Amino acid sequence: MKNKANIYCWMGALGLLSLMGFGALGYQLVNGLGVTGMNNAVSWGLYITMFMFFVGLSAGGLIVSSSATVFNIPAFKVVAKPATILSTVCIMVAGIFIMVDIGSPERVLNLILHSQFKSPLMWDVCVITLYLTINVTYLYLMTRPSSDQKKLKVMSSIALPVAILVHSVTAWIFGLQIAREGWHSALMAPLFVASALDSGLALLIIVLVLLIKYKLFTVDKKLITSLAGLLVTCVAVDAYFVFSEILTMLYPQEESVMLVLDEMLKGSMAPFFWGEVILGFVIPLAILLFRKNREKTGLIIFSSVLIVIGVFFKRVWLLFTSFIYPHVEGAPGITLGKYLPGENPNVVPHFWLLHGQYAPTLIELMIVVGMIAFGTLLFIVLSRKILIEKAQETKRTNQNQSFESPTAV
Amino acid sequence: MTKLGMVIDLNRCVGCQTCANACKMQNNVPMGMLWNRVLTEGSEEMDGVSGIYPHVKKKYIPVSCQHCENAPCVKVCPVGATYKAEDGRVLIDYDRCIGCRYCMAACPYNVRVFNWTEAVRHPGFNYGDSKVPVRKVGVVEKCSMCKERTDEGLDPMCVVCCPAEARTFGDLDDPNSEVSRLIREKNGETLLKEKGTKPQVYYLGLS
Ligand code: SF4
Ligand code: SF4
Repeated sequence: MKNKANIYCWMGALGLLSLMGFGALGYQLVNGLGVTGMNNAVSWGLYITMFMFFVGLSAGGLIVSSSATVFNIPAFKVVAKPATILSTVCIMVAGIFIMVDIGSPERVLNLILHSQFKSPLMWDVCVITLYLTINVTYLYLMTRPSSDQKKLKVMSSIALPVAILVHSVTAWIFGLQIAREGWHSALMAPLFVASALDSGLALLIIVLVLLIKYKLFTVDKKLITSLAGLLVTCVAVDAYFVFSEILTMLYPQEESVMLVLDEMLKGSMAPFFWGEVILGFVIPLAILLFRKNREKTGLIIFSSVLIVIGVFFKRVWLLFTSFIYPHVEGAPGITLGKYLPGENPNVVPHFWLLHGQYAPTLIELMIVVGMIAFGTLLFIVLSRKILIEKAQETKRTNQNQSFESPTAV
Repeated sequence: MTKLGMVIDLNRCVGCQTCANACKMQNNVPMGMLWNRVLTEGSEEMDGVSGIYPHVKKKYIPVSCQHCENAPCVKVCPVGATYKAEDGRVLIDYDRCIGCRYCMAACPYNVRVFNWTEAVRHPGFNYGDSKVPVRKVGVVEKCSMCKERTDEGLDPMCVVCCPAEARTFGDLDDPNSEVSRLIREKNGETLLKEKGTKPQVYYLGLS
């Protein structure tokens, strides 16, 4: 009972935070994107960072649950439900962040009415819609009383390639652009897949442990250990890609590339870059490479949290470093696009930026926190509905015939 | 076919900013943004110099949309609001733009501006040409080569107003046009040639 009260407390708090977020969103809808810190030089900000981040986070769930069926890993099958719920919620949050970032949301239907298929953003709209549909169908199939194994198998064999595609297309939004030095790289897609896998898996582990703690779900500890094994592989691959990318940028010492790289290695983006290297790669690898540590839930959770933070940092440096230096330089620079009259109405305020500058505003932060809270709330509600029902059902079936208990792996 | 373009002679440009303001007036561009900026090269200050005294140099370069032939902004627009017109101009349908700003991220020249807030104007009325559409908050805008004027066979406002006669407007596809002749005879070059965007704005005396 105490457990239940605890969950309600959480849900209440998350509900309030979501309300705050939607309130802030209303304010932004009325006043325009000017309430954010974005400007003509740094025209994408925290919302797009969050979009990339959440597309990545949704990877873990679907990949684990579908590979359970595709590659027949029965151990993973147990977590298919919570994993798919997580995946669904994350991709919905990602979609929300795209919508929040749009300057004329009332025209969003133009995406359907006037689709222009040369745009990677259009590809992403299609592929994310597909991904969401697959997730929801998958969830529906799984929760039906008599889950049809054949249908599940077909679904999961579509789900896996689509999952890979979602991350690649999101990467291509950036990787195909010649205008931004740090983005234009063929490695962008594999890099996104790798960091989606590690952040997604890390989040899945965190969520599973929380679900166990709040008695919404039970899994064997061994499963967490084997997921941690998968996680450490993904982190290593991700680190390898980042290293290869940085080396390729660094070695030729090209002038325009060095500007961007210096900003990353020792400039304003250094805390995020080195933050990712240390929190996202070095510490988790140092912990999880040892089999012994992969048996300790505490250490696994600790590394998973660091990995999620690390990947978030990567999204930040990836997006922003490339906005700092305009290719065509010269004073006074780029116009801000905003006009904020000062004390004296006769003095024209300075509205120029020599280099890209950006800091999120309070409203922006409130919207971001609110939308994440909303996603978390959605996850809790869905898990309670789907997982508890399942738990009761298994109890019932266990009384009749005792096979396939979720605890026995 | 016509391929409208422009030639800007940097040896003639005196950095007076007239074209920037002529453009702002003609196109009703709100405060806090410009479609056409006159940049001072190699300096942190407007009208500054590059180099160390006494070996200094002062050079201006006016930059607005280059109306690229291979325009990244056109390719990335998910709703086709940014498009390449028949006559070679890159234009924006302000009624279609959803404000995703992908085009701003895709343009290597940083010439696109966004209506982040309700437009502020000093003086507080629409000072632009009445034929120029008024843009609402949440859409992208940029140089249209004065669509409303050039549609009627007039020169863009920056070309008309430039006191140094540094600007020439015309058809790049016509070998006998003034622009084609200038590019041919005076070695016209484009900005960020290595990006392969094939700009239709040429500069004389760029390098
Ligand atoms: S200069 Fe920029 S906005 Fe103009 S056509 Fe080229 S890419 Fe598009
Ligand atoms: S901001 Fe408007 S013009 Fe630019 S890509 Fe998006 S919809 Fe197209």
